[in-house]
Amino acid sequence: MGLTSPALLAVLAVTAGALLAAVLWWWPKVAGPGLRPVLLRIAALGALQVSVLGLIFVVVNRSAEFYASWSDLFGVPSGGGVLVAGQYDASQSGGSQATPPVTVSASSAVAVPGSPKEPGGLLQTVRFHGQLSGLSVPGYIYLPAGYRGASAPAGRLPVAVAISDQVASARDPYGAGQIAATAARQMAGGGLARLILVMLPAHIGRDDQGCLDVPGGSQAATFLTEDLPQAMESAYPALAPASRRWALVGDSSGGYCALQLAMTNSETFSAAAVPPGEYTVPPGAGVFGGSPEIRTQDNLSWLLRHQPMQPISVLFTGPGRAQPFLSQARPPMRAGQIGLTTGKWPLARVLDWVGGAVKPQPAPRS
Amino acid sequence: MGPASAPFIALMIVAATGSVVGTVWLWPRFARQRIRVLAARLGLIVGSQVLVMAAILSYINGYFSFFDSWSAVFGNGTPPPAAATGIVGSPRPIMITGTDLGPVPGGGSALPELADGRPAPKPPHIYTQHHATTEPSIVPGLDISGGVARAARSVGEVLQVTVSGEHTGIGSAANYVYLPPQYFQKAYARTRFPVVLSLTGYPNDPWSIVKRLAVPATAARLVAQGKIGPAVYVMMNVSVALPRDTECTNVPGGPQAETFLAEDVPLAVERTFRVQSGRAGWAVLGYSTGGYCAAKLTMMYPDRFSAAVSMAGYYTAIKDSTTGNLYGGSRAYQNENNLNWRLTHLPAPPVSVLVTSSRVGEKDLPGTLAFLRLIHPPMRGYSLIVAQGGHNYRTWNRQLPQSLEWLNQRLAPAAPSPRGAGTGG
Repeated sequence: MGLTSPALLAVLAVTAGALLAAVLWWWPKVAGPGLRPVLLRIAALGALQVSVLGLIFVVVNRSAEFYASWSDLFGVPSGGGVLVAGQYDASQSGGSQATPPVTVSASSAVAVPGSPKEPGGLLQTVRFHGQLSGLSVPGYIYLPAGYRGASAPAGRLPVAVAISDQVASARDPYGAGQIAATAARQMAGGGLARLILVMLPAHIGRDDQGCLDVPGGSQAATFLTEDLPQAMESAYPALAPASRRWALVGDSSGGYCALQLAMTNSETFSAAAVPPGEYTVPPGAGVFGGSPEIRTQDNLSWLLRHQPMQPISVLFTGPGRAQPFLSQARPPMRAGQIGLTTGKWPLARVLDWVGGAVKPQPAPRS
Repeated sequence: MGPASAPFIALMIVAATGSVVGTVWLWPRFARQRIRVLAARLGLIVGSQVLVMAAILSYINGYFSFFDSWSAVFGNGTPPPAAATGIVGSPRPIMITGTDLGPVPGGGSALPELADGRPAPKPPHIYTQHHATTEPSIVPGLDISGGVARAARSVGEVLQVTVSGEHTGIGSAANYVYLPPQYFQKAYARTRFPVVLSLTGYPNDPWSIVKRLAVPATAARLVAQGKIGPAVYVMMNVSVALPRDTECTNVPGGPQAETFLAEDVPLAVERTFRVQSGRAGWAVLGYSTGGYCAAKLTMMYPDRFSAAVSMAGYYTAIKDSTTGNLYGGSRAYQNENNLNWRLTHLPAPPVSVLVTSSRVGEKDLPGTLAFLRLIHPPMRGYSLIVAQGGHNYRTWNRQLPQSLEWLNQRLAPAAPSPRGAGTGG
């Protein structure tokens, strides 16, 4: 009779029921004084207890399948299994591995404003192919002067990601060309340490709304926190995100995205520079997967009040009311506000701040 | 007096024995044949039955380490804040709360054994004073001397730790870290070790990984036999808010269990111990709920983990009375936590997963095989199916050596450094 067989269950149930009835009925027979009736009572009670416990054990074991058989319960463990590797044909292994994580379609030298002879780095037009999110995202990469290819033995560089719908604009301060020129200028002037800049549009997926993982939709957060670091680490001498020295910069279109990522993925992004704002709802259609809790969580001011202070630096850039956020930020979070630089390079000070935020710390090991 | 503590279990056994004795004693008073007396007889029997049952349950709870504290049984299902551990805001994300773990009671040491099978001497307990967590190059145990130092160098050591999540604010106490003997040897003084994050089932206490699954003892034996290389085993409770079953999920508006296990724990371990920091050096192993979480965390964080072992796990996003509303009421978000859905709707991640089950005795076998069939490159699936074995530690004990060897083939090894090798041994 197997441990999980219905027969055992039936036998135990009938036994327990019969024993209970017998004990209740013949109770007076063993009620007398003396050793013999006492021993009989103990035996009767014991048998009843054991049969009920056995029944309960078998019922629980059958429903949860803890032990499959008597030998499983009492026997000597034996018999390993065979370890089998899944078989995948060659055509299957094409897929995402065939697509490199980033392809470069154009590349141009960046001139240092004011001193065109000085090398100012390189601006690449690229497309990222998210290995995990599946998103294909156009963008730009600025590589500082002295960059010598992906396999250069020189130290790996920190990364800042700028997010704006104006990324393709030639004039907007958040356009890729303008940001690259500003960075080249600040680096040449010594105010900014060398770093890699990635410039992305503010809408990086079909239904993207502020770089969130839309439930059941575009996994923009996955792209930015998993795919982008993986691409930058494999194709460029970028610092691993685990170093937590990546920063985000956003304008009015990319501000929610930047602040949201820093507040919810501070293990990857340690700093964000965004315009002041409420940031209570993500930009876009508002797809919360039908969940009021997810809607609540997407409210950054709710996050600031309800989740632990993240170890990040937040800089509000330009005019606007940042006081509600600033007054609530507590260590380890640091928050501040600066004005944009007047003149031709409004982001100069912002980039200098970003450079300070992502500066590699001296290695802690001896 | 915790529910798994010896005094409590003893008290329950005394109560149960007392109830049986009392029933035998009071027996003659209810010997007259009347209906009312029949009810009293039934009451006596049920009363003693309940007490005996309670005693057995508390013993079983102690044996399998289901619930270690009353808050785990009766708590309100919110994670203990990291502040409660007293280390929030300090540079110590991991606090060592115990090292003097001694031999396992009840025979069959699950702690590391000496090569001749004798239980290892009590490990040193020196870390709380001397272990500087901000300085990972310090080798804990190297500054100790005598028999305990020799023990650590020959069998390694199990530490009890509290982990506080920097990003999630979740604190998780009574978890364990096994440092292999090589960790304390001079030749490895500059070596960073690979890490296997090991997760319990639900409900469970991580001591069961040490004692019942016997991960440290099995790893120590396989390393001594030369079958696997040394690694650090971080043994964590998969539940962050017992008695709630959080299923390593970032609960919308609730505990961020996924971020805690996938980001906070690795960062805390990397900052505290001499371990590798890349994905090549990290894997997750778990059983039951821990199996689901091992597969899920690895598939969702391939930049953090490269391989997973899921023993008797499941691969869909469950929702029941113990989990509550894990997905914010969103079907779409529940789907994202369903590994089968992920494999059919999202690109497969570049990770390897070993799933184990048994032909007879494991009800999740069909689900396991279905998950296996959905795996496609760049993800790789492997299976280890035993002929027979239920949802219990005996079955997983049998699967553990092969699982650890499989992990060993995928993890970046801990190589002794050439410089260190010249000076010591």
